[in-house]
Amino acid sequence: MISSTSLQISDFSENIFLISLYEIVDGIEVSHFFFSLSEYLRNSNHWIEVVSGEDSLIVKYSLFNNSKGKSQETLEKQIKDFNYLEEKKEATVLRVPICYSEEFAYDLQDLKIQSSLSSQDIINLHSSLTYKVKMIGFTPGFAYLGDLPKELMIERLAKPRVNLVPGSVGIAGNRTGIYTLGGPGGWRIIGRTPLSLFNQKKKNPFIILPGMEVKFEPIDKDEFKNFKVNESYDY
Amino acid sequence: MNLKILRLMSLMTIKIISPGLQTTVQDMGRIGWRHMGVPESGAADKFSMKLANQLLKKNLNSPVLECTLTGPMLKFLKPLTFVITGANMESRINNNFIENNVPYKVKENDVLSLSNCSTGCRSYIAFSEDIICNSFLESYSTYLPAQLGGINGLALQAGFTLKTQPCELTLSREENIDINQVHSYQNEWKIRVLVGPEFNLLADESKETVFKSNYLVTNDTSRMGTRIKGINLQLDNKYHMLSAPVNTGTIQCPENGLPIILGCDAQTLGGYPRILQIAEIDHPIIGQLRPNDKISFINITIEEASKQLVF
Repeated sequence: MISSTSLQISDFSENIFLISLYEIVDGIEVSHFFFSLSEYLRNSNHWIEVVSGEDSLIVKYSLFNNSKGKSQETLEKQIKDFNYLEEKKEATVLRVPICYSEEFAYDLQDLKIQSSLSSQDIINLHSSLTYKVKMIGFTPGFAYLGDLPKELMIERLAKPRVNLVPGSVGIAGNRTGIYTLGGPGGWRIIGRTPLSLFNQKKKNPFIILPGMEVKFEPIDKDEFKNFKVNESYDY
Repeated sequence: MNLKILRLMSLMTIKIISPGLQTTVQDMGRIGWRHMGVPESGAADKFSMKLANQLLKKNLNSPVLECTLTGPMLKFLKPLTFVITGANMESRINNNFIENNVPYKVKENDVLSLSNCSTGCRSYIAFSEDIICNSFLESYSTYLPAQLGGINGLALQAGFTLKTQPCELTLSREENIDINQVHSYQNEWKIRVLVGPEFNLLADESKETVFKSNYLVTNDTSRMGTRIKGINLQLDNKYHMLSAPVNTGTIQCPENGLPIILGCDAQTLGGYPRILQIAEIDHPIIGQLRPNDKISFINITIEEASKQLVF
């Protein structure tokens, strides 16, 4: 069980608090706990930003309105009042087509060498599971999905790539995720989806939302080229 | 001509003759969306951006043009007032050199040209009228990686004509920028930092090295991040770190030991150790770093940092 006494508040900067765990707590989905706590704190409308990571969260406050001490008091009280309930409702499953062709999968070769698996084994493993959305962030709408099968776990690149193509699908540690937008990234790229997960014409531009689940569906190069969003991708 | 076209033409006020290296529309940025992965964005040097608006008595959050290393050449299609702040790009109206931080009036057909800066990296141009552009999540700032906000989410293009509309020139915000705080730019910066959450993952020797050595800004610098080089930092043994929140000014240390300073367009989460955090008072410097600038880090306390911020 996580309770408010398992948490510590420290200073991330002069106007940001960091909330983390004193020690590893068994029997709880830590990322979900921090996600729920961040929603709770955000809904209080007291903070400038509340951002959760996998095992911590940060809270930005305004030094112009309140002293640091006063803000910390408020935060401590809110944490104490937070009642964590693991949600058990059925998740929406988003099906994401993915092409594992080598022209998109820059790091498939490395993964083959490290795992001693064939390309087909890797594809089967990666697309076999339905992943949970563990965390949202990095770039607009990027979803951290997990857990990845143990056989596919690999370290991040030592030097991140400067500019990735939107839709690139990467893996790192026990996570897989989609680079919704271009930009730098250090995850090992094993494929690409033609599906855009960010649509600024929509009122809510973010396609993947917390609480959803994601299932990758392998497609070949031709299907990738001819891909059009149809009604079955309800977004 | 019908009225609609006439009205539209009356809004066309600033013609882009040449766009400069990377000129974008920026404001104070997006607030309250980091949990969905949306970075702060806005001007990379928010001090200079606010100063530009203040000098024209505009709302401090009004969109301005952010120019990078080489500025644009603009032709005015109607009389306006403008001001330039930030890096000095040897600006001219027609052929007469002008100064930064001083408002100038221009006539129809006057040409404003910015050249290159040799210190600092970014200049800001504010106009007496408001730039008409796209808003995304309540900010006009251009976020290039996703082509959001600003002028179609892109840097300005040659031949394009900016539309502007008259606005009330009343400085409504209490917050006032002190013009005396304008940095005189050199190619050397001392940046005030706090220790980050993973500072302790640095090997003991590196904990000292990071404050004692000089770093050079590499060519790999943008609104997203700036890679710096110097003595490689060593991380302690094998650590395990999960993706965690980062902020503008977070300094990460990847396994190769060469730190990355995160800029205003940087990602919201990261998996590399967060060894240092730049104090908010020095965030504007991040937007003025140019390749080959020398930087060093000064460790200050949380108390000092907050005192600087509130003054």
